[in-house]
Amino acid sequence: MRVRVRSLESERINFVLEDVDLALANALRRILIADLPTMAIDIVNIEENSSVLVDEFIAHRLGMVPLISTACDKLINYNRDCVCLDHCPKCSVELELNIKCTTPETVLVTSNHLQIKGQVANDTSGNLIDPPIGLPDNFGLPINYHQEGAYPITLCKLRQGQELRINCIAKKGINKEHAKWGPTSAVAFEYDPYNKLKHTHYWFEQDERAEWPLSANATEEAPPDDSPIGLNAEPRTFYFDVEATGALEPKDMILLAFAELQNKLAGIVLALDQPTDQEGYMDNNNLVEGMEPSSTAADQVDDWGVGATQGGFDWT
Amino acid sequence: MLEDEDVDVKPKITESDDWTTPGNFHGKSLTDEVKTVEDKWQLLPAFLKTRGLVKQHIDSYNHFVDVELKNIIKANEKVTSDVDPKFYLKYTDIHVGNPERQDADSVDKSITPHEARLRDMTYSAPIRISVEYTRGKQIVRRRGIPIGRLPVMLRSNKCILSGKDEETLARYRECPLDPGGYFVVKGTEKVILVQEQLSKNRMIIETDPKKNVQASVTSSTHERKSKSYVATKNGKIYLRHNSIGDDVPIVVALKAMGVTSDKEILQLVAGHDDEYKEVFYINIEEALRMGIHTEMQALEWIGARSKSARRAVGPAHQKRPVWEDAIETLSTIVLAHVPVENLNFRPKAIYVAVMVRRVLMAMVDEKMLDDRDYVGNKRLELAGQLLSLLFEDLFKKFNHDLKLNIDKVLKKPNRTTEFDAYTQLLYGGDHITSGFVRAISTGNWSLKRFKMERAGVTHVLSRLSYISALGMMTRISSQFEKTRKVSGPRALQPSQWGMLCPSDTPEGEACGLVKNLALMTHITTDVEEEPIVNICYMLGVEDVCLLTGTELYRRDTYIVSLNGNLIGVTRHPLKFVTQFRKLRRNGFINEFVSVYINHHHNSVNISSDGGRICRPMIIVENSFSKVTSEHIKMLKAGKIDFDAFLTQGLVEYLDVNEENDAYIAISENDITETSTHLEIEPFTLLGACAGLIPYPHHNQSPRNTYQCAMGKQAIGAIAYNQLNRIDTLLYLMVYPQQPMVKTKTIELIGYDKLPAGQNAMVAVMSYSGYDIEDALILNKASLDRGFGRCQVMRKYSTMIRKYPNGTHDRLADAPIGLDGVIPKKYQALEPDGIAGAGERVDTNDVIVNKQSPSNALDNSINPGQADSSTYKNAPMSYKSPVPGFVDQVLITDTESEQTLVKALLRQTRRPELGDKFSSRHGQKGVCGLIVPQADMPFNDRGITPDVIMNPHGFPSRMTVGKMIELLSGKAGVIRGTLEYGTAFGGSKVDDMSQVLIDNGYSYAGKETMTSGITGECHTFYTYLGPIYYQKLKHMVLDKMHARARGPRAVLTRQPTEGRSRDGGLRLGEMERDALLGYGAAHLVRERLMLSSDLFHVDVCNDCGTMGYNTFCPMCKSQKNISNIQIPYAAKLLFQELLAMNIYPKISLEDAV
Repeated sequence: MRVRVRSLESERINFVLEDVDLALANALRRILIADLPTMAIDIVNIEENSSVLVDEFIAHRLGMVPLISTACDKLINYNRDCVCLDHCPKCSVELELNIKCTTPETVLVTSNHLQIKGQVANDTSGNLIDPPIGLPDNFGLPINYHQEGAYPITLCKLRQGQELRINCIAKKGINKEHAKWGPTSAVAFEYDPYNKLKHTHYWFEQDERAEWPLSANATEEAPPDDSPIGLNAEPRTFYFDVEATGALEPKDMILLAFAELQNKLAGIVLALDQPTDQEGYMDNNNLVEGMEPSSTAADQVDDWGVGATQGGFDWT
Repeated sequence: MLEDEDVDVKPKITESDDWTTPGNFHGKSLTDEVKTVEDKWQLLPAFLKTRGLVKQHIDSYNHFVDVELKNIIKANEKVTSDVDPKFYLKYTDIHVGNPERQDADSVDKSITPHEARLRDMTYSAPIRISVEYTRGKQIVRRRGIPIGRLPVMLRSNKCILSGKDEETLARYRECPLDPGGYFVVKGTEKVILVQEQLSKNRMIIETDPKKNVQASVTSSTHERKSKSYVATKNGKIYLRHNSIGDDVPIVVALKAMGVTSDKEILQLVAGHDDEYKEVFYINIEEALRMGIHTEMQALEWIGARSKSARRAVGPAHQKRPVWEDAIETLSTIVLAHVPVENLNFRPKAIYVAVMVRRVLMAMVDEKMLDDRDYVGNKRLELAGQLLSLLFEDLFKKFNHDLKLNIDKVLKKPNRTTEFDAYTQLLYGGDHITSGFVRAISTGNWSLKRFKMERAGVTHVLSRLSYISALGMMTRISSQFEKTRKVSGPRALQPSQWGMLCPSDTPEGEACGLVKNLALMTHITTDVEEEPIVNICYMLGVEDVCLLTGTELYRRDTYIVSLNGNLIGVTRHPLKFVTQFRKLRRNGFINEFVSVYINHHHNSVNISSDGGRICRPMIIVENSFSKVTSEHIKMLKAGKIDFDAFLTQGLVEYLDVNEENDAYIAISENDITETSTHLEIEPFTLLGACAGLIPYPHHNQSPRNTYQCAMGKQAIGAIAYNQLNRIDTLLYLMVYPQQPMVKTKTIELIGYDKLPAGQNAMVAVMSYSGYDIEDALILNKASLDRGFGRCQVMRKYSTMIRKYPNGTHDRLADAPIGLDGVIPKKYQALEPDGIAGAGERVDTNDVIVNKQSPSNALDNSINPGQADSSTYKNAPMSYKSPVPGFVDQVLITDTESEQTLVKALLRQTRRPELGDKFSSRHGQKGVCGLIVPQADMPFNDRGITPDVIMNPHGFPSRMTVGKMIELLSGKAGVIRGTLEYGTAFGGSKVDDMSQVLIDNGYSYAGKETMTSGITGECHTFYTYLGPIYYQKLKHMVLDKMHARARGPRAVLTRQPTEGRSRDGGLRLGEMERDALLGYGAAHLVRERLMLSSDLFHVDVCNDCGTMGYNTFCPMCKSQKNISNIQIPYAAKLLFQELLAMNIYPKISLEDAV
């Protein structure tokens, strides 16, 4: 496997993945979309909201703000796994939004008005929890936070006299749970720009080439010639174009994705290696509901008259 | 220019074009086509700016308030007394004041409609009259006496909102896009729908069910409304009217009207057409046979049979001769709209003769029958007319009561003070006020006086979406009964082109009977007749009374009639009509007066009555449009407005009848030498609802109809004041978007400012099998990000009452439980006993903790002494199964000085499985599956669709417009422009394809996508792009229902019915049949009895009646008692039968 980065920008990475299976490339893509942990506002406590937007509306908007989540995979716990009582610096970031419009002009409330709040929390045994070491300074801040030339994210508009007093708790999570925890906005992925493998069928009126424009990735490959393509030919080169929300650095994202993939594979390997009589997972008696436990798995015949061994439950 | 017209516009002309180049003048070369009027559609926004979408309602109401009221007063101006002949009271003037609030203690009386909405009040203004009456020997004049209150139509000229700018409207908490045209009565917004009916005072020739030809006229004047017929029976012609017992042979009728010579009758009726004479002779014979030769004989004959006049003669008077009754009947009741002045029956006789002639023509040639469904024969009755009828009725009642009261006082011989009728006037009570309020809030127009009995005239303005409110204002309901299975009135009429929307009609029973106005229509109000008559005579019309039948029916003679009344004849109809129109175009005649020639009837008809639909058109003279680009430029610059086009004679209004006289070119290219008019824009033939559809001209027509119905259910923004409103039910979309592909109509009606939908990235492909039967697949990440998210607000309101016995309800704070904690149920409450804004409430949580006195209805207690120590809880609690939040709380007083508490509860909902969505092409579907983003297919740019739609939705529906919408939308997204899908125009597919090609896409909008699950390229291509999707109000959350055990009806002990009562699901007859057929007898028994209304009863085997406690009260014994199971309903039946002296015996056998 080879990764060749073609371009790297602050919120975008374009690379070629070579010498890998389609399955692996797609797994990487899926992980990039769904499995990378980031920080996002998850709990919003509204003390005062006299804006025109209702509480849920503002909470939803706050949740969608990408927060800088560098290194949150290692240094931050999932809130559900954390030792603390409610939330603590090890599993969350607290932000607040306190703003009141006092001028006749409308105030535009943006992600720039969010401020990080220090938090003090104890664990179950009453010890003070220290903040994790090694987090970057801007950890948990919204993207483009007070940056020249970059636009913050509009949250709301306030008229004279209207006020927002909001306390937010950002937690770690993954996109599978909610899209706000996704570090990517679009993951493009392409192989075989010339369609040499005939995976797809281009419908055309007169001329295929004229009617179906080639993608930019076609420059990377030789145009199809008359040489035959083997029956077993498989795609081996994949052109990725990943657009990030800004929560994670594009480079980190790719590295993390690979790590996550390894993790997942390791999980499967571990699970496959486990003995049958271990609790839960591999015990075939528990796999099929309502099946009478019996002394030998091989004796079992299920409702369809198929032995359990053939049914594929006996993993030993 | 926003959009390419269908008309060929050669190179666009810009200021920078080099016209100094030879052969290039102002960007034009000699070979270029003659320049067309660009942007003539700009007239449309100008039209809507001056007229507005619901101008017809407002105009009609204004006409009522400004003109009709005065006419009614004038017609009923005098109140006299039977007791004192010297007394009189005369109304001299009437006017309607400004809307006022009625609170006694208010300093500022002015009221906004929004206050009326919130406080459940009526937005009404006082009606003030000026009177002149006698007090003893004096004549007293008084002004400004209030006699009642008139509900004010919003945005009418009595409404405070009329002519206000956006800022002022915002201060009044009113939406500038709200069209007005409705009333606020007891806090609800009520619309008086436009009613369609046959035109009044016009002859309609038709056949009765027995195929006999008859001519009918519905006469309608201020004094009287009646229907007269000239009907045929056995080939003979009769005059028929309700007030005459028998059908009057037509010759008798004519003789009674003073046409005594048979020859003259024949001439008047048949002219010199031998054919008609032939058919008519039999009638003359009949009169001969009856022995009626003279006018007197005819009058005696009719008088003996007339019904109505008899009653009017009081017992004190001498009995009137019979023939006078006949004169009375003929002059004022039969054909009441034809005036009989000084007993000059000539006009009426001629009118009858013309009717007879039309009948004869139809008898000879059935092509001469009229078409009832022709839009030109219809009149639309608007709020103003209905209110004016109502007021007339109420006012007459008011006068009647007043007279009775005055008589009562004057009857008393000795009075301490001189009688002043003013007090009686003030005493009148709120008869008029309550009459208006009752009629508008119930919709029952029952005016016995005018033989009017109509229900369902008013409707609650639907505020589901902006479009539904707007659609309601343009709706027209027909008087035709829905149950009759006739297709004629329901069918699309060619004459409704441009007047009524061809797409917007409901499906089902009201199909074709409920219609909608097209975009650029106007409904006329009455215009004074007299000046028009004068103009006609000046234009050379000869008075009809001076003519005999020979002149009347000459081939070259055209009868001129005004509003159905014959006023004269002309030999030069074309010249007359041309001159008439010239006068109208120059503003000497009202612009809404129409004139046309009917060559079949040899007549020129002028109409100035109200209720005609008309629309503006550009005048074409000598093959050139009178509106030129220069005019449009001035219009764009704001130098002139639409009215200037009218006054300058560039544009004129044509009604349906006059349209038949015009030769209208649809586009400028179509203008020929004979063209008289040019359409302003063809897309205006659609209404407001159909105008939302992009590319409707590419769709199968029923799809457009479906969308018209569905657009009204779409959730979106409803008005700028939506968050200030407390409506029973309010659906709002969290992130509404204006459509990528819009239409000019969308911009004109403001749908882009108050949209109801979102632009979804749609992939047309099959996915997973959960998309069959129009189901949609939604992307979970899209839902996370806010796609289809909506808020549902529901009003919970309660009254804190004061009771007549002096007790009153109270609000209590939350009780504290035994453990010292406020129970969960009461936790949302604040100390005032009402839930605080922003609090979360769960099912059954208390929102308003009201307590009522237990002796509230006990009137034996004196006020003030009421023992108010005992109160019982009457809390208002939250009903929905899903938690909600208190959005706002309103505490206020109503008109009846009761305290009103309204709480608005809000839920925010994200789409879930089973929620209903629809595109703008009548393609609805429910969400079948929500898929994680990673599993979604994606294209080479990493775009995953928001919605996947199954391609099977296309072939049978043929909604090509949807495909073009996608294409235009995609091009627009790429290019960063909003595209147009205006009907008969819009962005062209070729252009859109070019944009796609230029940006590296397939020209057809198709893309190859990759499976998100396997990573493999799809073998097929996918149609991918944005389509505007609406979320419809039908959501699973509001419909889901299941029950195991639950409440039962008291009487039958069977499970209750319906979701709202947590009812059971009925196992109906068909289901029962299926189970029986299958042989599942025990299942039937279980469903029908055990799980329903099982009852154990003791039955006496001796007498067969039911007993109790193993005892039979009939036999007074405990012997032979068996306990059996029967449905409770059966037990009930037996008892009911017993109660009516039927003795059902239950005889039992041993069970095997």
